[in-house]
Amino acid sequence: MKDFALMMIGAALVNNVILARFLGLCSFMGVTTRVDTAAGMGFATTFVITVSSMADWAVQHYLLDAYGLGFLRTVTFILVIASAVQFTEMTIKKVSPNLFQMLGIYLPLITTNCAVLGVALLLVEGKMGFLDSTMFAFASSVGYSLVMVIFAGLRERLALVNVPRLFAGPPIAFIVAGMLAMAFMGFSGIATS
Amino acid sequence: MNHYPIFPIKPETTPVTSVTHSDLVQGIAKVVGVDGNTVWLEPEQTSSCGHCASSSSCSSGHQSDGSTEAEKGGMGTITSRLHTRRFQITQPKALGTLLLGDRIIVGIESGSLLKAAMTAYGLPLLTALIAGSIAQEQFAQDAMTMLGTALGLTTGMVIAHFSAKRLKSQGALAPHVLRRASAHETCGTV
Repeated sequence: MKDFALMMIGAALVNNVILARFLGLCSFMGVTTRVDTAAGMGFATTFVITVSSMADWAVQHYLLDAYGLGFLRTVTFILVIASAVQFTEMTIKKVSPNLFQMLGIYLPLITTNCAVLGVALLLVEGKMGFLDSTMFAFASSVGYSLVMVIFAGLRERLALVNVPRLFAGPPIAFIVAGMLAMAFMGFSGIATS
Repeated sequence: MNHYPIFPIKPETTPVTSVTHSDLVQGIAKVVGVDGNTVWLEPEQTSSCGHCASSSSCSSGHQSDGSTEAEKGGMGTITSRLHTRRFQITQPKALGTLLLGDRIIVGIESGSLLKAAMTAYGLPLLTALIAGSIAQEQFAQDAMTMLGTALGLTTGMVIAHFSAKRLKSQGALAPHVLRRASAHETCGTV
């Protein structure tokens, strides 16, 4: 249980997808102007990363490893991720067209989010079982969502302060992102992996 | 108007703007069809790839206008699916008669956005992870865990379906029509 908790803390905070592995930076800068939209994107990404990691594990275990097709891993995972996004879109549209209207905006953005592929490839390196792999993906995406929401909150505050003209907009946002990454480096002292 | 996908956003639930604008997540929608008292709106893409009124000044493509992706370049795969997000409202009296090509600002309550995200994504994921954990504890086999997770996901989707119905009946998912968008307003400036 302790190992399990450490693995999840490590995935979410210590080796954070955005601030430690520098994945998903497009959505990190593009969808963090409001806390609400960042949280919505975080929920959607968490869902897609977790579901696609389940599918990726099955494909890796029962197809690529079983038939020695490891060289096709990247292209296969891209296909699986695109299918997972499509599946999510279709399912939500079916479950509630209203929800799809409200949340569908995030799904096309996730297809091109490198964090999803990055987590899937990390899972292969980890050689974990199905549940461990799913929980690792879930923790990684929770870390992604957490940073998105924190950064969106900081940017909402930044919008209210007088920033020198040269630093206004993306420059000050990048500086704040750098400071946030340094703050997250503090977590590296609490986990072993 | 039969070629537009029909989404059950009831026209009568649309313009209820009692909340302050700061509570709303705002976006620009363009009128793409008018059928009597019903107006069809298509949201402008708010991603960083510029599928909005200012897209002519950037290099992003716009496939939904009939041109091919090759002709325009850019991320046509995203834009070409915007039509699937069209929705209908009644002619809002406060804004005058809306015509084809008009652009208006619509908003969604921020609390509703979070509730919707939790319902659509959070709930199925939670049930899937719980069911997967229980299956792993009971059988300790990856195949059974996968089956349990899939069952949990399906159950979560069913619960989400009823939860979304409840949200809809409360009017939480209805967009608010706020005002007309001025010519200089783009998806990045709202």
